[in-house]
Amino acid sequence: MSRALRWLIPLAAIPVLALLAYGFRLNPREVPSPLVGRPAPAFALKTFAGQPVSLESLRGKVVVLNFWASWCYPSCYEEAPVLERGWQAWRDRSVVVLGVDIQDTDDKALKFVRDFQLSFPNAPDPSGKVSIDYGIYGVPETFFIDTQGRIRAKHVGALSEEVFRQHVERLSSESQGAAQR
Amino acid sequence: MKPKFIGGGLVILAALGYMIYAGVTQSAVYFVTPSELRASPVTGKAYRLGGLVARGSLRWDARTLDLAFTLTDGQASIPVRHKGTAPDLFGEGRGAVVEGTLTSDGYVKATQILAKHSEEYQAPHDKNEAGYKELIKTLQKATK
Amino acid sequence: MIPELGQGMLLVALGLALAGAILSAAGGRTGRPALVESAQHAALGVFALITCSFALLVYAFLTFDFSVRYVAHNTNLGTPFWYRITGVWGALEGSIILWGWMLSLYTLIVILRHRERARELYPWALTVMLAIMAFFITIMTVAAPPFSRLNPVPANGRGLNPLLEDTGMITHPIALYLGFTGFTVPFAFAVAALVTGRLSDTWIALTRRWTITAWYFLSLGLLIGGWWSYHVLGWGGYWAWDPVENAAFMPWLTGTAFLHSVMIQERRRMLKLWNISLVILTFSLTLFGTFLTRSGVIASVHAFTQGSIGIMFLSFLALVVLVALGLLAWRWDALKGQGELDSVVSRESAFLLNNVMLVAAAFTVFFGTVFPLLSEAVRGVKVSVGAPFFNSVNIPLFLGLIFLMGVGPLIAWRRASLDNLRRNFVGPIVVGVVGAAVFYALGVRSALAVLSLALTVFVAATIGLDFWRATRARLRMGESILPAMTGLLARHNRRYGGFVVHLGILVIAVGVTGSQAWSVQTETTLKVGESASLGGYNVRFDRLDAAEESNHARVVGTFTVANGRQPAVMQPSKKYYPQESSPIAGVDYWIGLKEDLYLVLGDFTRDGRQATVKIQVNRLVTVIWIGGLILTLGTVLSVMPERRKAA
Repeated sequence: MSRALRWLIPLAAIPVLALLAYGFRLNPREVPSPLVGRPAPAFALKTFAGQPVSLESLRGKVVVLNFWASWCYPSCYEEAPVLERGWQAWRDRSVVVLGVDIQDTDDKALKFVRDFQLSFPNAPDPSGKVSIDYGIYGVPETFFIDTQGRIRAKHVGALSEEVFRQHVERLSSESQGAAQR
Repeated sequence: MKPKFIGGGLVILAALGYMIYAGVTQSAVYFVTPSELRASPVTGKAYRLGGLVARGSLRWDARTLDLAFTLTDGQASIPVRHKGTAPDLFGEGRGAVVEGTLTSDGYVKATQILAKHSEEYQAPHDKNEAGYKELIKTLQKATK
Repeated sequence: MIPELGQGMLLVALGLALAGAILSAAGGRTGRPALVESAQHAALGVFALITCSFALLVYAFLTFDFSVRYVAHNTNLGTPFWYRITGVWGALEGSIILWGWMLSLYTLIVILRHRERARELYPWALTVMLAIMAFFITIMTVAAPPFSRLNPVPANGRGLNPLLEDTGMITHPIALYLGFTGFTVPFAFAVAALVTGRLSDTWIALTRRWTITAWYFLSLGLLIGGWWSYHVLGWGGYWAWDPVENAAFMPWLTGTAFLHSVMIQERRRMLKLWNISLVILTFSLTLFGTFLTRSGVIASVHAFTQGSIGIMFLSFLALVVLVALGLLAWRWDALKGQGELDSVVSRESAFLLNNVMLVAAAFTVFFGTVFPLLSEAVRGVKVSVGAPFFNSVNIPLFLGLIFLMGVGPLIAWRRASLDNLRRNFVGPIVVGVVGAAVFYALGVRSALAVLSLALTVFVAATIGLDFWRATRARLRMGESILPAMTGLLARHNRRYGGFVVHLGILVIAVGVTGSQAWSVQTETTLKVGESASLGGYNVRFDRLDAAEESNHARVVGTFTVANGRQPAVMQPSKKYYPQESSPIAGVDYWIGLKEDLYLVLGDFTRDGRQATVKIQVNRLVTVIWIGGLILTLGTVLSVMPERRKAA
């Protein structure tokens, strides 16, 4: 084989590697959630502090709806600081972080809120109606709802800073763009 | 290299290529969502259909081993039928992927049900909640 | 404090590995032994640090330190003691540390064994091993740190994946990783050979035992994985052509080719290009296997998706492949054969065909595994190919390989004369054909099964013929039969070890053939007192019970099974773990030589009066595991030190 042709051998590996890299862009395990793109189910809850909160009352803001429980080890423990930091960073920009505590006892839930020094509103869902409406079958699950009250994304498992920022930034800039027009 | 070896090599390559081609065309399974399947259904084609098991759609007859349910992606729904128990990870309101063929009656006859396994969660089986604890207690009482 | 210590150790280990790699390379380049010695010290340091770090992780597990995120994800207060240790390598972070630890151990062994004997190659081999270790330690420190903390500390952990609470799942990753990491050594020496231009068979002779051992552990890992799948997962199968299974199978196929092909280079200095290519391919496939398992690129029951880790693996894989193939292209002229194939009918030819068929099988598995990616990239449609594809292409290849197993060891070098062919093969072929007729007469109707069994008989006959002829030669010299046989095994342990391994493969082939052709299954719903029959077994549903254990609860179905003899009780169950959103099946089975009876509890009613049960009679599956044992014996025989004196 000539001197030049032999270098085809390492080069031939590149298309295969490129194909594998392409695979990164795809998520083969994603099963579509029927809720994404639909109007978020309405809810009316009372926070641990006694304040009423409903989806209606949050219209016009980007809502990060997070379902959690104190017995959810350790994923809820991982994401609680992320939610709190996200709340602090975005509360002045028409973004609301709302935690819904499911299948829990109030004293354990309050301890959780105290330990993580959560300042965003958290409400228990005693009848479980809200978690059924949102199709929850495990914790944690987080829904990103836009200013029109539509569910735009659902995240399963502990929320990371990047995912939080990604979704909130996108929904926030959309609504700003709409407002400016 | 002697020509007959190159020739032999080409023959082997050709044979392999043919076998792979035949194998692929015979056993190709198309990944679709319910919407995609609704958009262009082909009877008799092998599909891998992924969606959420619609709440209230699950029907299970233990005596005949007939399992029927609907897979949905929020826009479209497809009825599915399967013979035999579903895998343990399967249930209403959860993601599932089925492999089967589309019948002329409009439902997918599933030969395999693969249920999604997520390591992320914790399931709501806590002391305060029914779930399996209640099942255990009920059974213990019934079989005493 | 302790977790920070553990993480700090890993960071220091990373520095040492990088420094060691550079020092060793410099030592190889300049020929100064002092540099290489420093690199050796660095490698020792890496081993010590990873060992300590690993020990600290185990300690965190044992003491329920839920402040460590990895511990909180993989144990809870109910996890039994033993599983708290084995759970350490049950998920991503721990498995990477295990891999890294094995690599560092192997590096030490390479140092101890080879620093005197391979002056030229050794520094470069050490460089490669340290560089690869540096990559894995980078993963441990950057992408998947095992010691990251949680604050506040959760009161309990999630718990181990219940599927991992099983002896198979403890040993399977260890065996598999010993195999995967084992191939790093021949690869390292191959790269050293390319760099130094010393492409004779030195690098092969040095790494022969490494290759066999790595190959063996990979085989063992695959077999244990099949056994675990069969006994635990509840679908009664041992292989599903799942992408993650395929990921381990591909390096096994090319590793087998490599193992055989090097014999030709040792004897006749041919196939050099093949051998270098095969070892590069095998090592790359071990990295690809890890990439596939950890990145979630291909949908699989086992895949765990973790963000940046996939990208890092792919980048490293790309680096390894491009550098290794680049070196190969650079040394192309030196690798081109020194000998030409004399004849199609020769041992060299048989081994070459062996290479081709094994690589073809590996390519088929690769193609089928990445097909969904390919079809989406090319046509925008996501298509996958399932078991039928892999079976339809691979079965003919495997049958051909079995045939070659009989031909290769006996056929003459260079050019086999008609006389040589007659002497060696007429007998076994006749035996094979007779065997086919016998099986047909016994009722075997599947053409594939008859062919498969006939080929197995043929190969067994060639092995028997060879052994008998050699024994007879010794008997003629006055030895009595038993010492003659054992003497043969001891004196020519490489050859006969290989034969025993081949026998093991044959036994496995028989088991696979039988289980695919003759197993039966059914699923039925029974009320209390009702029975079902299958394959001569009568299964009666007696009762359902519920109980609570330390970390799970379970529902147990009691069934009385009779097959003409003494009836006995089987108890398949469903286990409910708090951290899992659905129950895990607990299979109950009877293992027999000829067949296994297999019961899986499905659905049941809450009053305990009715249960759905899946019954399987799986034939000849146990034969597969026995084949594995024979494989083990053959491998041990193969790697024993050779006796130079007459036995």
